[in-house]
Amino acid sequence: MNRFLPLLRREWLQHRTGWLVLLALPTLLMLALAASDGAVHLRVNGGDTDLPALREAPALMQTVGWTVTTAAGTFLLAAVAVLFQLPGLARRDMQDRSIEFWRSLPCGDAESVAATLLMHLLVLPVAAFAAGALGAQLVALLSISLSHGPLAWLQQPWWVLLPALAAALARGLFGWALALLWLSPLLLLTMAASAWLKRWGVPVLVIASIAGTQLLDPRLPRPLVQPALERLGQEALGALLAARTANPLQLDRADDLRQALPALPGWLLHDAGQALAQAATPAFLLALAGGAAGFALLVARRRRVG
Amino acid sequence: MNHLIEARGLTLRYGRKTALDDVSFSIPKGRVVGLLGHNGAGKTSLMRALVGLAAVDGDLQVLGLAPRRQRVQLLESLAYIPDVAILPRWARVSQLIELMAGLHPRFSAERARTLLRRTSVGLGDKVKTLSKGMVVQVHLALVAAIDARLLVLDEPTLGLDVLSRKAFYEMLIEEWCDGERSVLISTHQVEEIESLLSDVLMLNEGRVVLSTSLEDIDRRFVALAHDPEAADAIAAAHPLLRYRVQGGSAALFDGAPPPELQALGRRLRPSLVDLFVALTRRPELNRTQGL
Repeated sequence: MNRFLPLLRREWLQHRTGWLVLLALPTLLMLALAASDGAVHLRVNGGDTDLPALREAPALMQTVGWTVTTAAGTFLLAAVAVLFQLPGLARRDMQDRSIEFWRSLPCGDAESVAATLLMHLLVLPVAAFAAGALGAQLVALLSISLSHGPLAWLQQPWWVLLPALAAALARGLFGWALALLWLSPLLLLTMAASAWLKRWGVPVLVIASIAGTQLLDPRLPRPLVQPALERLGQEALGALLAARTANPLQLDRADDLRQALPALPGWLLHDAGQALAQAATPAFLLALAGGAAGFALLVARRRRVG
Repeated sequence: MNHLIEARGLTLRYGRKTALDDVSFSIPKGRVVGLLGHNGAGKTSLMRALVGLAAVDGDLQVLGLAPRRQRVQLLESLAYIPDVAILPRWARVSQLIELMAGLHPRFSAERARTLLRRTSVGLGDKVKTLSKGMVVQVHLALVAAIDARLLVLDEPTLGLDVLSRKAFYEMLIEEWCDGERSVLISTHQVEEIESLLSDVLMLNEGRVVLSTSLEDIDRRFVALAHDPEAADAIAAAHPLLRYRVQGGSAALFDGAPPPELQALGRRLRPSLVDLFVALTRRPELNRTQGL
């Protein structure tokens, strides 16, 4: 019997209202922005531009622009919300005592914890990215219709846009998964601290980090804590976008964009390979070990309370 | 496998406190067993050990499985209600049925819906909008829809009013007890469940002070109602308990009292409550008597 899917569904049933708001909010804001009458001023390429002027941009450029901003905005909102919820998530079932109900069912503790983590850390942010990308098409439709008419939206080179969109989604999923693995020591140990130490968990972890960087590092032959934290952050960013300088999309001209888009899937694939190659280090194994320790602590805590 | 539960020499300690001290008992199939004891007697610890939630020393087999090591497998054939009001408050009843159907291989969603139709709870109701009694009924309906062989109930009616308790026990007897499946139930409302029980397991300070069937209790323990004039003679025979009954005095004996004493009083059927009081109020005496 596959219990993992019902466990994932449980997360959805419990949190769906908040998640739907998170997924829809950026699209709704962008729709309002696209429909606004020009009172909004944006800074584009270093210069002030009002929205009606952006609407005069070619349809393809508008679609790409709305897609990037809306998808990234939705993803960021979901990711930030999840990160803020993590400490509470570790104690969620204990606080409402439902842990005793869940543990009275024939489900393993590890799979229960894994389902919670997978749904909140991976599925929700990726769903947010996808929802933002899809919602952006509505925004683009509105914006392009207002400036060029609805036909202009239909007449875009969808055979180029859709593969690029799918490739970006796949790269986003892969990059976020890899970034999570890099960040797993920080994320899961934070959760574990919260699960074991309750409301003292996060303060203790913050104090420990400060003590490590300010007190321990200066006494070591080579600083350890701060470089490790910085490395984890840098590698996580690199997992999302490994390339540091390349910009495949020249947004100045629509013709450049039209030419660049077909190459985007290949470029994203190359970038994903680069991110994967960066993970082939002992540091990545250490990060995984830290994450595994955090996971084990979460499972152990769950076993103790139920 | 003759017994659903076989426990030998179970010991469980929380730091210096001994929650279970060399506990041994067995429960055959088709029995309704009352687990009785004062607060802190070790009832919840024992139940948690039986369902694999607490590690114990000693030999413990439940449905032929080692609870701690094979918890998930065990819970497929054992249903457990740990306490009242632990159903997730955010969930609707229909969602709980859906989740149980996905998580429990022996759960029948249709049966759960049928059982719930007999209550005042709607499938669309959220747990947080239900009264305590309704939540317990939902929980029992969910558990009764599991094709399990053993049901473990840890004070399931705690905090419920008398009507809710009655509804709970009616559902328990009608929907669960079929002569094949067994129930282990702990409660403080001893007098309410006495008529439901086939066996009783009494704990006192972590030790078993009585583990027997109600038929054996009737055979073994004797209560005598007597006049005040006979009080001294009765006291001289060292009964387990002297108490008031129906405006008069009574004494409870372990075994038949001497014939001359029996002639001084009228034989009564001892109630489980009186027996419970007799066996658990003086633990040091119980130990020396090896009950």
